[in-house]
Amino acid sequence: MKTRSIIGTVLAAIVIFQSCTKEETSAPRVTLIEKIVTDVPSDTIIGFSPIGQPIGAGKFTFYSFETNSIVPSSDSNSTKWDIAMRGTTILTNNGTSGPGKGGAFVYVGTYDDLTLVPADSTFKIDAAPSYAITTGSNKGWYLYTPQTNLVTPIPGRVLVIKTATGRYAKMEITNYYKGGITPPASASDAVKTFSQRYYTFRFTYQADGTTTFK
Amino acid sequence: MAFAQLSVDSASARSMDEVVVTATRTPRLMGNIAIPVTVINSKTVYQYGSLRLNDILGEQTGINVIDNFGKGVQVQGLSSEYTLILIDGEPLIGRTGGVLDLSRITVRNIRKIEIVKGPSSSLYGSEAMGGVINIITDGAGQNKTSAGLRYGRFNTLDGNINFSRKFNNTDVTASFNYNRSEGFSLKPNQIQKTVEPYWKTAQQISVNHQINDKWKMGAGLRRNVTYIDNTIEVSNLGNSTLSKGFERNNEYNITPFVQFKGNKIRTTLRGYVTGFEAVQLLNVKGNSDTYNDRFNQVFSRVENQTDWQIREQSSLTLGAGHVDESVASNRYDSMSTKRKNSISYFFVQHEEQLSDKLTLIGGFRFDANRAYASVWSPKIAMQFKASGKLSFNISYGRGFKAPDFRQLYLNFTNLAAGSYSVFGSEVAVPELNRLTSLQQIDQVTSMVGLLSALKPETSGGFNLGAKWKVDNQLQITANLFRNDITNMIVTDIVAFKKNGGQIYSYFNLKSALTQGLEFDVDKRISKTFSIKAGYQFLYTADKEVLKGIKKGETFKRDLISGNSVRMKLADYGGLPQRSKHTANLKLNYENTSGFFATTRMIYRGRWGTFDQDGNGIINRKDEYANSYLQVNASAGFSLKKYWKIMAGLDNILNYKDVIYLPGNPGRMGYIDIQFNF
Repeated sequence: MKTRSIIGTVLAAIVIFQSCTKEETSAPRVTLIEKIVTDVPSDTIIGFSPIGQPIGAGKFTFYSFETNSIVPSSDSNSTKWDIAMRGTTILTNNGTSGPGKGGAFVYVGTYDDLTLVPADSTFKIDAAPSYAITTGSNKGWYLYTPQTNLVTPIPGRVLVIKTATGRYAKMEITNYYKGGITPPASASDAVKTFSQRYYTFRFTYQADGTTTFK
Repeated sequence: MAFAQLSVDSASARSMDEVVVTATRTPRLMGNIAIPVTVINSKTVYQYGSLRLNDILGEQTGINVIDNFGKGVQVQGLSSEYTLILIDGEPLIGRTGGVLDLSRITVRNIRKIEIVKGPSSSLYGSEAMGGVINIITDGAGQNKTSAGLRYGRFNTLDGNINFSRKFNNTDVTASFNYNRSEGFSLKPNQIQKTVEPYWKTAQQISVNHQINDKWKMGAGLRRNVTYIDNTIEVSNLGNSTLSKGFERNNEYNITPFVQFKGNKIRTTLRGYVTGFEAVQLLNVKGNSDTYNDRFNQVFSRVENQTDWQIREQSSLTLGAGHVDESVASNRYDSMSTKRKNSISYFFVQHEEQLSDKLTLIGGFRFDANRAYASVWSPKIAMQFKASGKLSFNISYGRGFKAPDFRQLYLNFTNLAAGSYSVFGSEVAVPELNRLTSLQQIDQVTSMVGLLSALKPETSGGFNLGAKWKVDNQLQITANLFRNDITNMIVTDIVAFKKNGGQIYSYFNLKSALTQGLEFDVDKRISKTFSIKAGYQFLYTADKEVLKGIKKGETFKRDLISGNSVRMKLADYGGLPQRSKHTANLKLNYENTSGFFATTRMIYRGRWGTFDQDGNGIINRKDEYANSYLQVNASAGFSLKKYWKIMAGLDNILNYKDVIYLPGNPGRMGYIDIQFNF
């Protein structure tokens, strides 16, 4: 375990070093990566349990801000990923979830408001079954409405994430359904069930290790 | 003095002279009451072609009928669970999700309906927060027989027979009502109808006997049956199957009383036993499973009320009673386990006429409950008659609503939809312990620490009203109101199960406010023609939401950009199901030969439905249902001495809203014949 994490850190350091050199050659201070990502599947529905509950394969989708891509689950015990999603549950790479130096908290405000991670911020650590990004409707990042059977991201919730390698990122989830479009309230349960668990989000990753997002 | 008012002719044309019993639990002239009261008489009910209680209430200023678990009433912005419904002064029971379905109650045998707005828990106890609606049935003390038959769209049939006889010292009244409909579909391609076929019956008999000039006794018996066909599409394992079954509600009540009436003292001992039994059975096709839901509630009460006319200007009302309530349901445990509560209470009300212009009423009630905390409910009201034409009322009262059996004892696990469970506050801790010992609990939330005995929901209600009788042809009334509700009971997650299911329980966590203005104009244009107009402005809010917005912690999501935007107070649409603006305009024509015609226009402004942008509150355009105007008309005439014939057309504009007004089928015509002798 320990060796692995050391290797992870070294690898990460190399990656950072490389990216730094790259940037130095082109333009200094362009360490901020801003992206909009659509349709990241997170344990999408593959069938029903014996009691009729829609279920997925039970696997997390791992994601790296730095590479802006999905990380294979074979790398789950590495610092190659920063967040992982399964249904509405979001892990960060730390504590019981992974070997990284990660952490997270939910910032209440608009995405643009958050230009700097506040100095007094406390990054929480995953300690399953309790997570840095609190699970449950209206507790963390989403609201489940029983009348419509729909999951909607709560507006004004920015996930502030310390990455596996200890850098900072902010992300805002804007949709939970395929194509970034929430089905209408009148859509059938089948449509709602099979189009759910696709994340649309935007993130800003600060590669230089500072806490500023400007 | 007070008793003398009893002899005032209640059929009098002017509403100020109407005798009202619900506001103070003693007979008072409408013009002398310090709290907001509306009276609807049987003639209006007939001419407007109303069949069920929701038909007539939905056309009144400040009252909205909301279609959710049946037709529930909304008074002063408070929902159905906070309004007490009485028949001849006795409370109706049998609510689903807090809603008492008004369509259970026929209005074909009533003398009048009295509606008291604002809290009246000081006299009536639980549920009398937003108001009290008292249906006073017809017949006592008269010799008459009437029969009526109505036929309308969707094979809606309504038949009623009312009978009353006055023998020497004994009055007998009896009535029977049958109501059926084949229902209708708003979505034509579905097998399941929007409103399923149903039939309902109501039977009532009462006997009053005057023993001598001081003593009187009597008893009443009432029985209501509702039967609804159920054809339901059930989604299971991703496939939909059809299940057939029925829903049946059986309701009865018995009301014996004995009364002594002296010169200054009147005292009544009253018993009341009522039961409500609901059964829902569904057979899922191709599956041996039968869905079986049973609910059986019994409420029995004994009560004494004594009115003492101390002096001409001073009267005192004292009352005390005891209630035993029980519920058995397979939603809670099994039908063999009865959940019980008992309440002992007393109330006092003092009315003092300080001068010709000023009358004060003060009182309180104390309810000692076994299953939850006890409550004091005071009320004070004042009437000031500035002149013979203008009077002002001001009142403040406390209201409460007891936690219901569902909130205390529900023990429900839904295996079909996500395996979630809901536990009433009294069963949550033992159930959580049981599931923990079975190692089924994954994680408990911080809400577990807040699990405790539920308290009643309480409110403070303030009303300031004015009545201005400009002349014999014009009357204007206005009322400002404000209700602050605290300890509202909400559900929250207490734990997660290992299979992912959530466990909910109940907490006293929410507080809300409703405030507004109600305004009515009643204008007689000529001997035959009159106009009534009414308007209500309503503002409602969840107080936690207001705090969140003020602190800048509440956001909305912009429909186009998808960005989060900080909310302003003006963005907040208040509690769901509330319309900021509602209005009505009624034109009535009636000549001396018995011909009448009415046109009623009912406007309901847009109202919040459910959240779509994740903040849990109503703020965005797409979170509202559209405003609408419903126009109803009726006309009729008397034929010879005995016959009354009428026809009507409801919802002439054929307004429909498949999603938010599922109970509204669109245009609906009917014809109606009554025979009286």
